[in-house]
Amino acid sequence: MRKPERFSLAGGGRALAWAWLGLITALAILAPLLSLPYPPAQPDLAHLAAPPLVAGSAHWLGTDPQGRDVLAELVFGARTAVGLSLAAAILAAALGALLGGAAGFWRNSGLHLPLPAVVGLLGVAWWALALPWADAGLALSTSALAISFLLRERGNLYLPVPLDAAVLGSTALLGAVPRLVLVVALAGTLTLSPAGLLAVLVLTAWPGPARLVRAEMLRVKAQPFVAAARALGLPAGRVWWRQALPHACQPLRTAFPLSLAGLLALESTLSFLGIGLPPEVPSWGRLLGSARLEPTAWWLVAGPGGALLLTIIALQYLARAHR
Amino acid sequence: MLAVWALASLVFLLSRWGPPSDESLGLSNAADLNVGTPAAPSARRQMRREALLRQGLAAPLFYFSRVADGSGARPVRWHWNGRRNQYHRWLGAVLRGNLGTSFRNGRPVAGRLGAALACTVPLTGAAAALALAIALALAAGLARRPWWRRPALALLAALQALPLFVLATGLLLLLANPDALNWFPTYDQADAGNGPAPLGFYLALPLLCLVLSALPELTLQLEAALAHELRAGYAVTARAKGLSIKQLIRSHALRNALLPVLPLIADLLPALVAGAVVVEVVFSLPGMGRLLAEAAAARDYPVLVGGVLLVGAARLLALLLADAGARWLDPRVL
Repeated sequence: MRKPERFSLAGGGRALAWAWLGLITALAILAPLLSLPYPPAQPDLAHLAAPPLVAGSAHWLGTDPQGRDVLAELVFGARTAVGLSLAAAILAAALGALLGGAAGFWRNSGLHLPLPAVVGLLGVAWWALALPWADAGLALSTSALAISFLLRERGNLYLPVPLDAAVLGSTALLGAVPRLVLVVALAGTLTLSPAGLLAVLVLTAWPGPARLVRAEMLRVKAQPFVAAARALGLPAGRVWWRQALPHACQPLRTAFPLSLAGLLALESTLSFLGIGLPPEVPSWGRLLGSARLEPTAWWLVAGPGGALLLTIIALQYLARAHR
Repeated sequence: MLAVWALASLVFLLSRWGPPSDESLGLSNAADLNVGTPAAPSARRQMRREALLRQGLAAPLFYFSRVADGSGARPVRWHWNGRRNQYHRWLGAVLRGNLGTSFRNGRPVAGRLGAALACTVPLTGAAAALALAIALALAAGLARRPWWRRPALALLAALQALPLFVLATGLLLLLANPDALNWFPTYDQADAGNGPAPLGFYLALPLLCLVLSALPELTLQLEAALAHELRAGYAVTARAKGLSIKQLIRSHALRNALLPVLPLIADLLPALVAGAVVVEVVFSLPGMGRLLAEAAAARDYPVLVGGVLLVGAARLLALLLADAGARWLDPRVL
């Protein structure tokens, strides 16, 4: 139901969107190499909240109320934004694809583990964790080994792994509270380094891709080529990895830019609230937050707000163009 | 229900994992006061132990714990703590409706949450109702394909891309700024009680922010659903029988188009609560969201856990309402 005049627009818009995203990424990568007049996170106490484009001042885009150069903060903020959001989006998509794909492929009863091996591993874990009567764990392991040895002619007993229920349960658990509230609560309880913040972002972002890939996997699994691959005698794990998973990941092509845009907004919201990153890390959100201290400083809102808006619009445009 | 309980337990256990800092016990204030002679380490330790006992933090955290033993072949062993642990007490208290006391000022969490809700519930409730009403009217208007359809859709898409905090900061600097347009007072400018305007007047700008943030997605989805319904056979028949497109949308298509949008509407309330975190911080309103953000910054765990429980409960309520709504819209849904 696409209208024809959209096609003529689509090419130019797409090129524009890619160009903007490329510019931001290039800025992020090359930030330390650029010769900016001022380094980031260095207060210039002679110029507090200086307006931009004043003759005789090297603060081209002005300074914030703490005297930090807005241009340097913008460029290095792009580094933070791209590094953190892109890494979080990629990791979340990978984790979601793996968990959702496995849950959709094997469901609750498809993946079997041999019962003696499970019991043996449990016994070893029991002993290693030093639970009460640790030696009982060792006895359990040895008896499991012995039983599997005795029964090896009659075929092993198998225990199904409720993979689907586990994945769906975890997504329901993480979805019980809005993402921002969950991240705020987690960021408040744990002391966060940038790596910790990345982990929290990934933890709260994976259910989206997982749900998409699981639904697509249910469809792909019923296709003839999967049945053919299994009939050829390929092991289930290989069918899953080589045949089914690449097809089931198709919806991620549109979902990934949207998820990246959401994470970008979430990350800058956190910096804006002053919760996530330490205050000396330059970030667009924190720059915007400093505008509240200086209500006349429009240049603190225009720069980072515009950059954030254009990036998110470009990502949404790309997601729509993929559809 | 289970998910809310598990999540709140998770946040509770994570928050109590490490040893509590002096600030969270309210000790640093006492130490700052006697500037003359710094307290001896033994006295500090004694104070700390008493504070731990007072707040019930001296008890073990969970039903069992790993104890480093040191002696013997195995360095660690597991210890069964029985029911005298922090988690059991917390859960029992929550089930009896007692959310504990705030670390910061010792006031009961339930009271603080209640005071915050008095500001947040009118704000989010009005925002949800307004956003829904405007989205319905706007989508019905857009479905008639007027000339302003394309610009309106582009505007909505741009609005959807704008993060809420950018929108809120922009509006604050533009419309509530003594140096630009000073149309709306902000909560800071006058005292809460004796200001010239009642609370409702302060809520106007935050309300606008929340409505603008919730509107685009709702309208775009509803418009798409309406366009889909208008291509259906029954709609063509109704048009052929001479119904105007306005009548058709109002009495036939809208009800069917609402059904696929219902999950979005159910998510509206939790999403607005999350949005309230940003909006209340920007406009410095004494609401739920600001309470949560400040509790996170100050590591006031009882308030955080209580807030998570409350927001989860609100989401459950929204889901129940959505189920009831689906049944009302389509009696075939059981």
